Amino acid sequence: MTYQDVKPGEVLLAVDNISLSFGAVRAISDVSFDINKGEIRAIIGPNGAGKTSMLNCINGFYHPQQGTITYKGQKRSAMKPYEAAAQGIARTFQNVALFKGMSTLDNIMTGRNLKMKSGIFSSMLWYGGAQKEELEHRRYVEDIIDFLEIQAIRKTPVGRLPYGLQKRVELGRALAAEPELLLLDEPMAGMNLEEKEDMCRFILDVNDEFGTTICLIEHDMGVVMDISDRVMVLDYGGKIGDGVPAEVRANQQVIDAYLGGGH
Amino acid sequence: MEDMMYELLFFLEVLFSGLLTGTLYSLVALGFVLIFKASGVFNFAQGAMMLFAALSLVGFQEMLGVHWTIAFVLTVALMVVVAWCIEKFVLGKLVNQEGIILFMATIGITFFLDGFGQTIWGSDIKTLDIGLPTGSIDLGGIFVDRLELVAGLTAAALVVSLAIFFNKTKIGRALRAVADDHQAAMSVGISLRTIWIIVWSVAGVVGLVAGIMWGSKLGVQFSLTLLALKALPVLMLGGFTSIPGAIIGGLIIGAGEKLAEIYIGPFVGGAIENWFAYMLAMAFLLVRPQGLFGEKIIERV
Ligand SMILES: Nc1ncnc2c1ncn2[C@@H]1O[C@H](COP(=O)(O)OP(=O)(O)OP(=O)(O)O)[C@@H](O)[C@H]1O
Ligand SMILES: [Mg+2]
Repeated sequence: MTYQDVKPGEVLLAVDNISLSFGAVRAISDVSFDINKGEIRAIIGPNGAGKTSMLNCINGFYHPQQGTITYKGQKRSAMKPYEAAAQGIARTFQNVALFKGMSTLDNIMTGRNLKMKSGIFSSMLWYGGAQKEELEHRRYVEDIIDFLEIQAIRKTPVGRLPYGLQKRVELGRALAAEPELLLLDEPMAGMNLEEKEDMCRFILDVNDEFGTTICLIEHDMGVVMDISDRVMVLDYGGKIGDGVPAEVRANQQVIDAYLGGGH
Repeated sequence: MEDMMYELLFFLEVLFSGLLTGTLYSLVALGFVLIFKASGVFNFAQGAMMLFAALSLVGFQEMLGVHWTIAFVLTVALMVVVAWCIEKFVLGKLVNQEGIILFMATIGITFFLDGFGQTIWGSDIKTLDIGLPTGSIDLGGIFVDRLELVAGLTAAALVVSLAIFFNKTKIGRALRAVADDHQAAMSVGISLRTIWIIVWSVAGVVGLVAGIMWGSKLGVQFSLTLLALKALPVLMLGGFTSIPGAIIGGLIIGAGEKLAEIYIGPFVGGAIENWFAYMLAMAFLLVRPQGLFGEKIIERV
């Protein structure tokens, strides 16, 4: 396995003709698209279009029956979630998947999992060294907490937080991994206007300051057209449009299937 | 006055002895809870693991003629191998199966470990002697069995170190993460396999320590696996997913059954110790089905 460094503007991830079915349900059929390093890439489409399934294929939760995914120059038909994480792919979930019993701080610390080197024996036997490492990573996590403006809830068990804040903590956990590719599944769903604006700002800042490539799913058209460099449109598992926001907005097929569809 | 004083001291003596026995129940229950939390598997084999570990310890001691500390280290290593095999050959193949199927698999593991243990270490009752103290000591008027005291303190020390391990280290955090949400845990690069091997290993070591204590008291024999069933009422009381619940549940059952034996036993013709724990747990179950500290049962992805 050899992954290559990708320069800004070059293709970071390419999906080629992938198809994914669950029994009789065809979640994705023969879709190809790519994500360039450094861009904000949106995936839109009506409910059940296959958007989440696409992210699940990219980070290894689902294994498409057909097609390939090329990431950092390495072609594969399937990869394990562990390997995806190790290669710099981090994500958030549509239905907030946090560790409910743990504090904000601990949740975000889990994002450092792969950055922390001490294994089971050193953490048991050589407690001092593991502790030192723990503190170093803690510092990084505190920076993320500052960045996301969630200092006030550092020690709160996340199960008790309102939805909007949970989404923010989940973003923090993904950022803690210092990802190269960040997958966001409806990061603004269920938020009020102010929360949405905050989230937009965080996404743009992450993209700007760290050069993190972002692929996001979002239903709010205003937001999508505003912050994305390119937009892909899925409908019934197939791709019906792809391009810069202006192109997509003018695409008749997209207007019929999606924008006109009561959204 | 003198009489009352005596009664009180006697009560405390019974209570204390019950609590110390209770720590051993806690220990066995803890093994169950760890595995249940991390993988949603109800591990019927916990008792068999305890017996197997104790047998192996005695076996290594006899076979190699080494000091018990060396036998202990070898047994820990063996329990890690057992954990690895269980993950590799049994549970790893059954990911995404129903809880009942996983439960059946652990029954299979129980019989395998029982049989395998007898095959390599023989089937006669073994005495386990690692030089733990015997007799009793006088703690301000209360006579306490030394072995029970050592067992209680060891169990407490083990529980405290596990608590530190789970709360302060990366692995502990990963384990709690897996217990909460499998998918999210995988997305941050936590390997479920590794975590499962770790919890089964820890459960094996917990079983070893419990096995040493029970084995010193009762000899290493098949009936140890039945003692592990005492963990069931403990779990009903404490909740299947709560580590503090396992500890406190064990103490309540331990103390409860000793006190019941002494104070209620005579009125109902004795031998109450055998069933009191179950009655107590059943009664409790009717009032609070999720246990003292139990949470909603986790979904397995
Ligand atoms: N694990 C699964 N098992 C069975 N069917 C699935 C599974 N995951 C997705 N599907 C099906 O695949 C199709 C696409 O689902 P997906 O979640 O990808 O849609 P989506 O575009 O994310 O929709 P939404 O906007 O509602 O989140 C749906 O018909 C869904 O029911
Ligand atoms: Mg979705």
